Amino acid sequence: MDSITPSGGRRSEDSATRGEVTDVDLLKRAWCNEKAAPEILHFEAALVQRAKEQIQLLEETVEEFTADRSDDLLVSLYQMDLDRSLFLLRSYLRIRIQKIEKYMLHISKTSLWDRLSEQEQRFAKKCIDIMEKHLEQSVLSRLPYGYQSMLKQSISSEEDDMVPEPQLDTFVFCKTKNDVGAFQLDDTGEEIVDLVADDLYVLRYNSIKGLVEAGRVDLV
Amino acid sequence: MYGRRASQLLRELASCEAGQITSFNDDNLEQVIRECNEHNLQLQSLIRKIEDASLDIQTTRNEDHYGAVIHHLSLTRNKRCLMAYIFNRAEVIQSLRWKIGPVLPQEIKEKLNYLEEEFFKNHSAAVESYMSELDLDMTVDMVPPKDPYIRVKVLDDIGEVFLNDHTVNLTQHSLHFIKRTDAEPFISQGLMEEFLE
Repeated sequence: MDSITPSGGRRSEDSATRGEVTDVDLLKRAWCNEKAAPEILHFEAALVQRAKEQIQLLEETVEEFTADRSDDLLVSLYQMDLDRSLFLLRSYLRIRIQKIEKYMLHISKTSLWDRLSEQEQRFAKKCIDIMEKHLEQSVLSRLPYGYQSMLKQSISSEEDDMVPEPQLDTFVFCKTKNDVGAFQLDDTGEEIVDLVADDLYVLRYNSIKGLVEAGRVDLV
Repeated sequence: MYGRRASQLLRELASCEAGQITSFNDDNLEQVIRECNEHNLQLQSLIRKIEDASLDIQTTRNEDHYGAVIHHLSLTRNKRCLMAYIFNRAEVIQSLRWKIGPVLPQEIKEKLNYLEEEFFKNHSAAVESYMSELDLDMTVDMVPPKDPYIRVKVLDDIGEVFLNDHTVNLTQHSLHFIKRTDAEPFISQGLMEEFLE
């Protein structure tokens, strides 16, 4: 199989046999986590950059092969590989954008903002402006003074009590990568679970949030 | 009855299938906004009454105070309902950009009010500028790919289209075997469908 690996192309054939983790595997994991997590996770900037470069390489390879009129089967295999990588990348970015659309105000007010890429931040800013203008013109500007805030129900609210937030206490399926040991699920320490390597659990996202962020468990 | 109209707006949202949109209920919305302003008038007059009686507004707990509280709470409730109505519709409108594309068909346009159409245009532009920054079209590939090519049936005359360095004549009812990424925009616009035997 080595003869068909284009120089500089993806090392998937080689590395799969050696049990290494390719960028596509990493992207798949990031995509899975992002898909299952109720809130937005850290943007995998370096990974996305690498994935983009590899996709470009793969595109060039496919083009080369098509120009050479080489084996059609080969071309379609590369094309399929390319399509799958592209899907992962697009879907990953899309899930994030849709989370931003839904919780833009919440994200912009909290430390979640730092998890966005520069482009996503620009998108979120635009989205907030657009949504604010829309709510302003449709409802807010026509309400009595004191009730015109987008973030507060009325002037007498002390906190911002009108911002949609993701529900963090939903249950998620997760898989442990290696032994975590006895893990405390709540603050009181009444519920303790022993997290063993490579096992599946259904837990509240809230309680394993830290583990997901640290990369010790994967969501599925 | 106070508060009923606002909840009607939300019931309309709830009775609608997820991702679908109903016609914008202008009348109801107007009435709820009017109701809000009435509540405010009553609220202000009660507050003035307390002040005129030279009582401390912070500590007074007489019937006027509780009356004012009820008006205040009704107002915030109405506001929550109005905002939820507009916001939830806006969410559906955002999702239309992903499902249908930058141009909305007439039958959906009719259901939006002019502010919502404006909102759709602005949001759509924001999505597009994000995609052009990344140099990646994110609206294709909505489902995981199985085969790079699919069989499609053309539902409406599309005409000559340049696909993958040769032109294809997409006439109505014709069948084609083309790249999935090329077909997707047509499928989402309802001009093609996947042909399954």
